[in-house]
Amino acid sequence: MTSSTPFRPSRRGFLSSTGMTLLVASIAGAKAAEHSGTLPWKPFAALPPQPLPGGRWYVFTADEARMVEAIVDRLIPADDLSIGGKEAGCATFIDRQLAGSYGSSERLYTQGPFLPGLPTQGYQGAEAPVARYRAGLAALAQHVRSQFAGKAFADLAPADQDKVLADFDAGKVAYPAAAGFFNLLLQNSMEGFFADPIYGGNKDMAGWKLLGFPGARYDYRDYVTAHNQPFPLPPLSIAGRPEWKVGSK
Amino acid sequence: MKKAALLAGVIAAALVSASGFASDLFDRINAGRYKAVLADCAACHTKPGGRPFAGGAPLDTPFGKLIPSNITPDRETGIGNWSYADFRGALKEGVGKGGKRLYPAMPYPAYSTMTEADIADLWAYLQKIEPVSNRVVSNQLPFPFSIRTVMIGWNLLNFSPSEFKPDPAKSAEWNRGAYLLNGPAHCGTCHTPKSLLGADKTDQFLRAGNLQSWVAPDITNDAHKGIGGWAAEDIVAYLKTGANRFDIASGPMAEVVANSTQYWTDADLNAVATYLKDIKGAGTAPPRPLDAGDPLMLAGKAVFTDRCSACHVSSGEGAPFLFPKLAKAPVVNGDDPTSLIRVVLEGSQAGSTKARPTTPAMPSFAWNLGDAEVASVLSYVRNSWGNAAPAVTPAQVKDMRAKLAR
Repeated sequence: MTSSTPFRPSRRGFLSSTGMTLLVASIAGAKAAEHSGTLPWKPFAALPPQPLPGGRWYVFTADEARMVEAIVDRLIPADDLSIGGKEAGCATFIDRQLAGSYGSSERLYTQGPFLPGLPTQGYQGAEAPVARYRAGLAALAQHVRSQFAGKAFADLAPADQDKVLADFDAGKVAYPAAAGFFNLLLQNSMEGFFADPIYGGNKDMAGWKLLGFPGARYDYRDYVTAHNQPFPLPPLSIAGRPEWKVGSK
Repeated sequence: MKKAALLAGVIAAALVSASGFASDLFDRINAGRYKAVLADCAACHTKPGGRPFAGGAPLDTPFGKLIPSNITPDRETGIGNWSYADFRGALKEGVGKGGKRLYPAMPYPAYSTMTEADIADLWAYLQKIEPVSNRVVSNQLPFPFSIRTVMIGWNLLNFSPSEFKPDPAKSAEWNRGAYLLNGPAHCGTCHTPKSLLGADKTDQFLRAGNLQSWVAPDITNDAHKGIGGWAAEDIVAYLKTGANRFDIASGPMAEVVANSTQYWTDADLNAVATYLKDIKGAGTAPPRPLDAGDPLMLAGKAVFTDRCSACHVSSGEGAPFLFPKLAKAPVVNGDDPTSLIRVVLEGSQAGSTKARPTTPAMPSFAWNLGDAEVASVLSYVRNSWGNAAPAVTPAQVKDMRAKLAR
């Protein structure tokens, strides 16, 4: 615990802090650049997402990566509907996600006071996701080693892997360092399966094909009146789609 | 008392004559201001965001760089120590003060057709603008083009100065349009293709030119490559507001509209439109469009659907005054895809005019589309919805990318 003083939000405190925020915001606003005449424009102006080059792990060690790949393949197993989480690149996605601002909670307030939150409020602690993964994966590895004669999670039979994960999910395996870790992992795995492929997961838009999601499109005028008919276009990534290549089909 | 009355009379007379003189001069300066707008001197001689007429941004010619000079009346760095004869010589003969030969990037072949009265008005105005001290070294050309006297030979081959002669068989409006377009407005400087020597190919008058990595499209009445589909009022709307129901000015033409044509009188705009509607195009039969099932067309259609259709609409119709119509557009059907490749790569913004200040913009796609994808989407656009033009190659896109990166 970083702070021992209970935090009691009061009406007065709320009002004064809100007023301060508004004051600061309005001062900042007064310094904003002003434009008159035409809108500013520059050739080649674009702020595209920068995909990280593949072929390496950015945050995970080789052991951690192997373990996460095994976990995401149980959370999203390959079946007749789609490829599994490992092949879809969910572990790659999580690794790159952790390498960015998300991994260090760079854009979150992570100072005290820390209070126990409701389950719907999510994680309330000070640790950033990278640290939570490190601790959570270590705790899980330790648990598996002790229960399965020194084996690694990735080497267990699928049924055993499922049991370990179910126990973790149900809180039957109590490791303080890993509190809430299962939900984090599940959430990030789903993000990896359904996020745009340029972020490393959702290989070949497998998640979107599964759902029938058309991807990053923004014009449906030709189709809005075609009721009760399937949307004819394949999904589209920010980076494009295979049909853009000449002779793709 | 009598003396006072006499004095008052003298003062009044002096005032009347002074104001008469002043109004005469004012009228000439004011007329000159309008002539400077017609001639769009600012297009070259004012740097974007710079002091008016104090020297422009470098012009990239096929022969090298030229920097438009300072034409403010500053004595040291401008034309403050020029005489009217020097100024007239520059416009009429391409020879400036001290016999210095001008390069025809300064469109004296066009200005030489201007009337003496118009040139005198321009001079009156240019003497009254604010002098700005800004030394410009215009000649940045490599040897041998850097030797100005080579222009003597060029002029012998390509230039025969003569004032505009009206065609009595045509209407006064047509003749006014012909004078404006060929003289002060110097439209052919961009829109007429150039010979290897950089002179107008007069037999291909206004049939599209290429300069500074832009193409100035065919503005003849050619139904396929030109503006044969535009009515005279469409031309007027384009020049006056920067947009009409088909197209929106962007690139260098947006500057022409913003700096020059939006300030033209309606009579002058109508005159130019009347004249333009009478210019015959090449009239060659359009090529056969690529087959819709061609793999290049299929790939291009996929890119168009995903990246272009939200604004330009799947039928290529665009939205009037907001997104240019691509179907049957002159710039799309022209032989030279330079401008098309350019705007897809770097994006584009419409010019702002008093009538249409919105400046809708097209985003840059250079980060998202590879050379092959730009080539296929443009080939698709150039061969759909009634368009027909040669396919664009990835090598052309690669070249343009390299040029724009410089």
